[in-house]
Amino acid sequence: MNLDQLIGRLKADSSFMDCVTEWRTLPATQGRYADLPQEMDERLKEILRKRGIHRLYCHQAECWNLAQAQKDYVVVTPTASGKTLCYNLPVVSSILQNEDARALYLFPTKALSADQVSGLYEMIEALGVNIKAYTYDGDTQGAARKAIRQAGHIVVTNPDMLHANILPHHTKWVKLFENLKYIVIDEIHTYRGVFGSHLANVLRRLLRLCAFYGSHPRFILCSATIANPVELAQQLTGRKISAVTENGAPTGERHFVFYNPPVVNRQLGIRRGVVNEVKRISENLLRNEIPTIVFAKSRLQVEVITRHLKECVRNAYGYTNRVRGYRGGYLPSERREIERGLREGEVDMVVSTNALELGIDIGSLTACVLCGYPGTIASTWQQAGRAGRRKDTALTIMVASSAPLDQYIIQNPDYFFTASPEHALVQPNNLYVLLSHIKCSAYELPFEEGETFGDVADTSQFLEYLSENNILRHLDGKFYWMEEELPSGEISLRSARTENFVIIDITNPAHHRVIGEMDRYTVPMLLHENAIYMHDARMYQVEQLDLDACKAYIRAVDTDYYTDADLNVSLHILDDLEQKTLPNGAGLSLGELRVSTIVKMFKKFKLDTHETVGFGEVRLPQMDLHTVGMWWTIPDAVANRYTNDALQGALLGVSNLLSIVAPLYLMCAPRDVNVVYQVKAPITDKPTIFLYDAYPGGVGLSEKAYQMQEMLLEHALQIAEGCRCECGCPSCAGPTIEIGERGKADAIALLKELLA
Amino acid sequence: MPSLLNKLRMLDAEPKKPAAAPPAAASHSSFHHTQALFPISLFSDQSHATPELLKTVFGCPFPERVEPEDVLFLDTETTGLSGGVGTVAFQIGVGYFTHSGFVVEQYLMHDYPEEAAMLQTLNALMQRFTVLCTFNGRTFDVPLLKSRFLMNRIAHPNFPEAHADVLFPARRLWKLRLKSCTLGHLEEQLLQVHREDDLPGALVPQTYFQYLKDGNFEPLQRILDHNKQDIVSLAQLFYFLCKQVAKPQEIGYGEDLFSLAKSLEKNGDTEKAMKCYRMSAQSNMHNEACQAMARIEKRSGHTEAAVRLYQTILRHDGSDVNACEALAKLYEHQLKDIPAAISYTRQALLILSEPSLFRSEAVQEQQIALQYRYARLRRKLSAQSK
Repeated sequence: MNLDQLIGRLKADSSFMDCVTEWRTLPATQGRYADLPQEMDERLKEILRKRGIHRLYCHQAECWNLAQAQKDYVVVTPTASGKTLCYNLPVVSSILQNEDARALYLFPTKALSADQVSGLYEMIEALGVNIKAYTYDGDTQGAARKAIRQAGHIVVTNPDMLHANILPHHTKWVKLFENLKYIVIDEIHTYRGVFGSHLANVLRRLLRLCAFYGSHPRFILCSATIANPVELAQQLTGRKISAVTENGAPTGERHFVFYNPPVVNRQLGIRRGVVNEVKRISENLLRNEIPTIVFAKSRLQVEVITRHLKECVRNAYGYTNRVRGYRGGYLPSERREIERGLREGEVDMVVSTNALELGIDIGSLTACVLCGYPGTIASTWQQAGRAGRRKDTALTIMVASSAPLDQYIIQNPDYFFTASPEHALVQPNNLYVLLSHIKCSAYELPFEEGETFGDVADTSQFLEYLSENNILRHLDGKFYWMEEELPSGEISLRSARTENFVIIDITNPAHHRVIGEMDRYTVPMLLHENAIYMHDARMYQVEQLDLDACKAYIRAVDTDYYTDADLNVSLHILDDLEQKTLPNGAGLSLGELRVSTIVKMFKKFKLDTHETVGFGEVRLPQMDLHTVGMWWTIPDAVANRYTNDALQGALLGVSNLLSIVAPLYLMCAPRDVNVVYQVKAPITDKPTIFLYDAYPGGVGLSEKAYQMQEMLLEHALQIAEGCRCECGCPSCAGPTIEIGERGKADAIALLKELLA
Repeated sequence: MPSLLNKLRMLDAEPKKPAAAPPAAASHSSFHHTQALFPISLFSDQSHATPELLKTVFGCPFPERVEPEDVLFLDTETTGLSGGVGTVAFQIGVGYFTHSGFVVEQYLMHDYPEEAAMLQTLNALMQRFTVLCTFNGRTFDVPLLKSRFLMNRIAHPNFPEAHADVLFPARRLWKLRLKSCTLGHLEEQLLQVHREDDLPGALVPQTYFQYLKDGNFEPLQRILDHNKQDIVSLAQLFYFLCKQVAKPQEIGYGEDLFSLAKSLEKNGDTEKAMKCYRMSAQSNMHNEACQAMARIEKRSGHTEAAVRLYQTILRHDGSDVNACEALAKLYEHQLKDIPAAISYTRQALLILSEPSLFRSEAVQEQQIALQYRYARLRRKLSAQSK
């Protein structure tokens, strides 16, 4: 069955359509074109024509013109719009003109680098010229590395490699740094939050070295559709950036279906589980042989769904590789194999985390199933964009989970289709991040007194601090490095201050093998002792977690339950930044917080029914997060109107509501910001609701929340009042079982008090 | 509200006490510079280090003439082993021969600002030499120094054109017998040098940083002593190595002869390799050497010679399966003597059928291959007899 037939069948299926809250058909659009630029090298024109490209899309031509005018620019386009030509044409052209010219390409993941360089090879091969393009990443062999350093015209790498391997060894890269003409950064929308703040600083270090070697590279950046591509590009690069936003590529017809699983318990507001619904819908697509990508929210979901779908396709020989899981934690070779399988049509269905959201070439999938709202509008469009090539019909089905944010989106489709996509926020001057990179930069080249670092005009206090700690030596107006180790090794760009844990399968005592890795913050949740850990749909139990050695030892088991850990949070104020009293007497504060988290127990859930079947204890040390937060203090006059229990229910309800609306207004992913409450907060001595950035040092979300707190409260109230449930459900103030019978009403009352 | 500096201090779980201001170490007018002279009698005969021999030993081109005075021996002490650009060679030791003896010059910077002057002095000195000799300098000292020159904006430093890194030939020659090939182990085993109170290399960076903090020069003396001994040992090892290669008949160890023969064979000098294998066959390396020689003879088409060698091995050690198998092949394919081939195959299978507690996969594969060979040979024999 082809997709059009399947769409017809779905529309006729009343049990399916009953759950559809919106079926939007986005019409196909025509392409807009421009002639090949006159001044373009004939050789380049020739190979373009050979590939059937006689005209450029208008955005590609605009990029070319900006590059010729020596401008730094960002191009904002959706998936499959011929983005690579926006940078490959100017870069290759500049090397054709001057064979000493060099370019550096940065992609957020190794997978993307490998994919992009193969496209570049094709172009260079067709040109028949001696331009060398190489990927330089953790998988690059030692012998090849030397050749790349000496002779690579185009070095394709990722921010982590640049940070930990290239910059700290810049003297081996003299040719690159002396002749660097272009820095190409793709998928800049992924550099949000802490990762983006890190990247901005890595680029400051890079530009500082370019100045040392006397080069002045230009930036070419690419972004998916976000609200503030230019602002982000400028924050990342510290340069003034021109924008190319008009997409000239044609698109096919696109069906976007919002699917809300049926309610099974109206009183509790409980719907059928999103995973089960996704399993059913995906199974239907799979049986009709529609190439499909399923996006799940977590590694766990990927495993659960993959396991189910693999069972559906298991043939007489036990062969199940028509369905594959794909997520972080798989080894690179395994991932490459899956990507190849997708391109070559051996794999019909891939179940992925957002790891496949970025532009890896996985061929032409025709349908996309989203297991829950991906968290941001930008991500949703990116994921939906993985299905459907230029002229074909594409189908996206978004299945809502019971998570409040999902329920809001699914019931207010207009919000999704009309709201601007999110802002990507970065905070390059986050204290942790900035300090880390000034340290790295001081290793790479001694700072001189009065030297600036990006837009940090005054570096003296950072340098003084590092000197106090005997990391730098301040002498004769310069700061010299005086430690044995290089600093970049212990600084990970992906989340501040972490090292990765390796996951070791010890099922076979004679042959322990590493099957994956995980960052330090996730480890207590998923790899605590006795946790059930899933990898490629196989179940393992964690036998031992070695915190010092950063290793988790797991053994294959056969159980019918999975585990989920409970997180405890406590807060401590480090510094008040701003505060005011609202007209109604409530206090509003912004400050630096220390948030301590600890996992003390976990729950066991039955695999198919998800009912609780047991508990377990976890013994792990507390983890501290030093971040920025804002908080509302409830005045006694208001608090006294509630009984203790009622107050607790109301605070929890309001917190739940705020965590639904905060991501919408702050335009971030739900996990980027946390909302917690304390009935009698040790800090304020009063009932308090806290909202804080989930990253060390903060990335600017709480500051924004502080400014727009009234809108957050208003919107929270609107959701609570607009929800059709009787007394609380997961989509508004929270399930009755958590907030109590009067929880919803009390939460509404409390919100009204705060808004009074 | 805390100042930025105080906030930074709060980032630490256990705030450190602010360090004292840099001590007076910086008050020197120039970097520390010493010279020492060693008698020429410490070193092996230098006449063997001819350009041809050096080329064989080090596998890279050398100038047409190499006199002892043309070689600069170099070793550095650094602030770390990571090899990144923040690592500094704070102490540089060089050694060279003059008519009066072996001179060791040592430079040590009292503090960072002296680095440029120290490098300039080294650069001026290097100009006089055509060969650089180091121990592991190819991967460590030279790239590090190049990086330091670049960081101090000294363009095109005068590194001698030829670089003899003793580590690699030392490993080829002595690894089999001595296992460890660190400079310290080699000098102890080969040169009978025994260091007393030597500073472990791992403590070098910390010792230097401590000096920067407290200005007490005394502990640095141990670094200088250590480095001085390294330079002398390096020069001794260099000439000892050349002599061993030039006069293999004086090598007293079968393993070393065998190793030398192997690297000669790899270099394409079959004749000299055979000579060394033959000498090595007189020792505990008999079977290995014969095996290697038989391989060479077989390759050059000297089937009879190869057969004789394999038979020698079997006389020496009747349970050598590989020799049996090699003989079976030679008799089957070259000498076309099927019954003899069958007999050696049977012998090999017999050896493998001995009960053994431990049987690796490779052995099992060999067994299967031999069984195939046996069956094929039987077929061939019956075809011939028809």
